[in-house]
Amino acid sequence: MIDENHEELASLYVLGLLEGDELARFEQELAKSVPLQRLVHDLRETASQLAFTAPAAEPPPELRARLLDRLDTAATWRAQRNRVAFRTPLWLAWAAAASLAIVCAWVGQLYVGSRFEAATLRDQQAVADFQLRSARNQLEAERIIASHQLSSMTEQLAALDRQLKTEGDLAKFKISTLVSLAGNTPQALAVAVWNPAKQEGVLSVEKLPALAADKDYQLWLVDPQYPIPVDGGVFTVDPATGEAHITFKANKPIKNVAKFAVSLERKGGVPKAEGPMVLLSQ
Amino acid sequence: MSALLTVWPAYLAEPAWGFVRVRMKPNPPEPSAEAAAAAERAHFDAELLRRMGRSDREAFAQLYDRFSRPLYAAALRILGNATEAEDIVQDVFLALWEKAAAFDAVRGSAFAWAVTLTRNRAIDRVRMRKRRLEILATATAEDAGVQPAESGSDSADDLVAKEQAGAIRSAVAALPAEQQRAVELAFFSGLTQQEIAEKLREPLGTVKARIRRGLLRLRDTLGGRHD
Repeated sequence: MIDENHEELASLYVLGLLEGDELARFEQELAKSVPLQRLVHDLRETASQLAFTAPAAEPPPELRARLLDRLDTAATWRAQRNRVAFRTPLWLAWAAAASLAIVCAWVGQLYVGSRFEAATLRDQQAVADFQLRSARNQLEAERIIASHQLSSMTEQLAALDRQLKTEGDLAKFKISTLVSLAGNTPQALAVAVWNPAKQEGVLSVEKLPALAADKDYQLWLVDPQYPIPVDGGVFTVDPATGEAHITFKANKPIKNVAKFAVSLERKGGVPKAEGPMVLLSQ
Repeated sequence: MSALLTVWPAYLAEPAWGFVRVRMKPNPPEPSAEAAAAAERAHFDAELLRRMGRSDREAFAQLYDRFSRPLYAAALRILGNATEAEDIVQDVFLALWEKAAAFDAVRGSAFAWAVTLTRNRAIDRVRMRKRRLEILATATAEDAGVQPAESGSDSADDLVAKEQAGAIRSAVAALPAEQQRAVELAFFSGLTQQEIAEKLREPLGTVKARIRRGLLRLRDTLGGRHD
């Protein structure tokens, strides 16, 4: 009877999941225990059947023919190796009992055998060299892939960093909608966005009445640190649609925008609001 | 028959019955037809290997026809790359040809040997590439540039293999999902025990137990021995 612990070790063993000391200890036990050997045998057979659970796939048709071609070379090597291995003891027997001529022949055979072995070794070396080149190529490919991956990740990281910064900045933005205060412009609407880091903003208005030639709309930023609103510049609107989209800056450093306002002023603007307030942020 | 018992004691000793029942019966009954067929296949494969040991090309060709699909499919599943899977299969068949004379049926079936060679080589490559999780997550036969197995011209061997594959897939599918996942990861991923546990987000002990239970249950379903 095999306990669960050994069943577990056997299962992991046949799947190649034991390592180090655990593997060494299990193999020692395995060598001594016939029931454990039978369990490992069974589990190995079972595990091998898992190959059938892979999605069905067909090896390339030419692989079979290529392998059969290569067998010829392998079979020749094997036959020659066997022949040399078989003859050597015979030659040794002859050498022990016969003449110098036979010894010479034996030496000759050894020479031929050695040449064959040398040829085999050369072939093996060629194969090994090829494998080494392949491994190097693969490593180089891996290095290139890794390099590309690193570059890509660096770019992604930079993009993420930019995005985070943008989002961080965005959280500090002052965004307000401005609604009409004037009875004759009930549909007028505006949105103002202030970027405190850059000390600039964007204003988008629509459905503001067209202006007389001697008038301008003037934007104001209300910052509690100043006793009066800060001038944000003048603008006009499209007479047909009442729309305007402008980028503006304040004429003083702004710490905190409490409100935006738009007034109707004389052409060119004024340092302190004089005309009627048209829009005010909510 | 004694040779068969040596090669396939598991299949000839007991039928593909449940775990509990076999444990309760000290004298196992006659083998099931399925187990006997599996034993016959294994015996035939072993004979092919013995003939290959005598440089019999025809035996090699037959063994290739019997093994190449599951070996290639397994290599492709592990590697996720058709070219590399082809390399592995070529390498394995050449190794089988070179080492056929040393095959010892007592140590396991020819198919288990071939699968072990294939899996070890494929996993070595996976570990060298250190891209195992990417492969597992993304590789499919289609995006690896592989044509699915054709179904219109099956030989007798193909039909037997398909039947065998169907039975094994059914047995795996019948496992509880968590055991199935653990066993498949253990076989195909090339991950270590710890890495499997991390991937499954389960304690290592739990994962080991699932692999044990899953394999034992498969053994019972597929007709293995109970000690």
